[in-house]
Amino acid sequence: MSVNKYTAPAMAKEKEMRALSIIPVSDENKVKEALKHLKHLVRKFRPLMLAMESCTKCGHCAENCHTYLGTRDSNNIPTNRADLFRKAWKATHTLEGRVFGKLVGAEPLTLDTINKMYAYFYQCNECRRCALVCPFGIDTCEVTFAGRQLLHWLGMVPSLHASVGEAMYRTGNHTGLPKPGLVDTCEFLEEEILEESGVDIKIPIDKPDSDVLYIPSSADFLLNPETMMGAARFFHYLGINWTMSSAIAEAGNFGLLFDQRYTLRFNTMRLLDEVIKLNIKKVVWGECGHGWRAGKMYVPSMTDRPVPVPIVHLHDETAHYIRTGQLKLHPEVNNKPITLHDPCNFSRACNLGAKLREVLNPCVTDFREMTPNHERNFCCGGGSAILFDDPGMYDLRIKFSAKKAEQIRATGIGENGDGYLVAPCSICKAQFYPILEEHDLGVQVKGLIDLVGNALYPPINI
Amino acid sequence: MPHIEVDGQQIEVDEDGFLITIDNWNEGVAHYFMKEEGIEELTEEHWKLINYLRDYFFQFGIAPMIRKLCKESGFNLKKVYQLFPSGPAKGACKLAGLPKPTGCV
Repeated sequence: MSVNKYTAPAMAKEKEMRALSIIPVSDENKVKEALKHLKHLVRKFRPLMLAMESCTKCGHCAENCHTYLGTRDSNNIPTNRADLFRKAWKATHTLEGRVFGKLVGAEPLTLDTINKMYAYFYQCNECRRCALVCPFGIDTCEVTFAGRQLLHWLGMVPSLHASVGEAMYRTGNHTGLPKPGLVDTCEFLEEEILEESGVDIKIPIDKPDSDVLYIPSSADFLLNPETMMGAARFFHYLGINWTMSSAIAEAGNFGLLFDQRYTLRFNTMRLLDEVIKLNIKKVVWGECGHGWRAGKMYVPSMTDRPVPVPIVHLHDETAHYIRTGQLKLHPEVNNKPITLHDPCNFSRACNLGAKLREVLNPCVTDFREMTPNHERNFCCGGGSAILFDDPGMYDLRIKFSAKKAEQIRATGIGENGDGYLVAPCSICKAQFYPILEEHDLGVQVKGLIDLVGNALYPPINI
Repeated sequence: MPHIEVDGQQIEVDEDGFLITIDNWNEGVAHYFMKEEGIEELTEEHWKLINYLRDYFFQFGIAPMIRKLCKESGFNLKKVYQLFPSGPAKGACKLAGLPKPTGCV
């Protein structure tokens, strides 16, 4: 395997790729195989064809991409990222490319370009801010996703993503949490809720004939206890007959991020199977941005049979119950200066921005919008699980979040060192825990349902 | 795969230096990682966390929720970071021989 001269995440080893049923392609065969996949992908996906043929290099995407703003590396300009694909496409599949070559932006694919693709397709947060501003409607995110698909078929996937894929096959969640661990963790959280607010709440697992199947982000069991507790408080308060499932304790779907074929479909079918098995009436999705995008935008077209029940987001639900006056909230318990980070996959991809505010506003006393916001918001810099710890990639995570840090600082919420940054997505949270420290912002990360849970059950002494 | 050498023995680790197989762990491994972690000496408090993590892993097949780790050990998160500068997941779990946590963490 050649050494990658570009800054790139540690790549999965052959053993890890075989666990995903992929046999890595040797270096000498990579170009040939890649060209085959490229042809297949462009023919199959219309948006990709649009991206190949329509870009005029107007440059509008450059200043709107936080990865470029943070690094000033021209390879991170969205149109240049797509060029890694486009040049090879032109060289092999267009007449002008075959005749005029470089003059019309065509360039034969090489092993070096493939290595560069691996580096720069995994330096893209898949946030789609470039798609929002492109006058031609080119969604470079679709190009990098297609590029990642191609790389997956070549056996080039970051170790982090491959290990998550493997954990999902094995346990039904991304952290590899087996049922005994899940049960123990939920019992611990039940005790915590009882201790904190004197309310005896059960967190049911695998309970058949439940009205609601709640699928949390599995990171909530390791890092974000208040998010799981908030959701439990919410369901309990409303008297909803709910459960979680040990077979699919996962809102995320890394298939979206590295393999939109088998992995995306497999994880989705796993959920639908469980819905049938437990006789569920409705699925409620937890605080996970990319997972909700997969759930909302991809599930209907990805499944092998009709989707039998409604699939909604937790914050569609909370907004509904607030609007209909069924939640009594005590905003004074959340009295810190608070700002909201719009997860890209919620506010740009799934139109959830207004609902997030509808939920947040009645739960807090001092909410300050950051600018820009809603669908114009900037990514946290960790989008699509660019959560790598390799030193080179970690430095990039800090740079990718420079724009976000500037936005947070401008709200002034951290001036007294007690601000809350509400980031209702596990990838955003995992990015922010270390990154807020790196930028010395004086704020803590919170989920949104965390604050709803607090406001439903205020501590007795307030 | 990279290796580390502990007491003349080659032990396989992943690219972030976590053990591939928890069964290869021994106290020498904890002492080896201690240097990387910038810890001068493994005190009783370090061992308390390491042993707790290992017991939990063998019982439940995963590392405990960080909040539970703090509660059961009686150390707050700040104290855990004082003991293991890279934190509970990347520091303490590594010394205890647990695999690197996966997912959005």
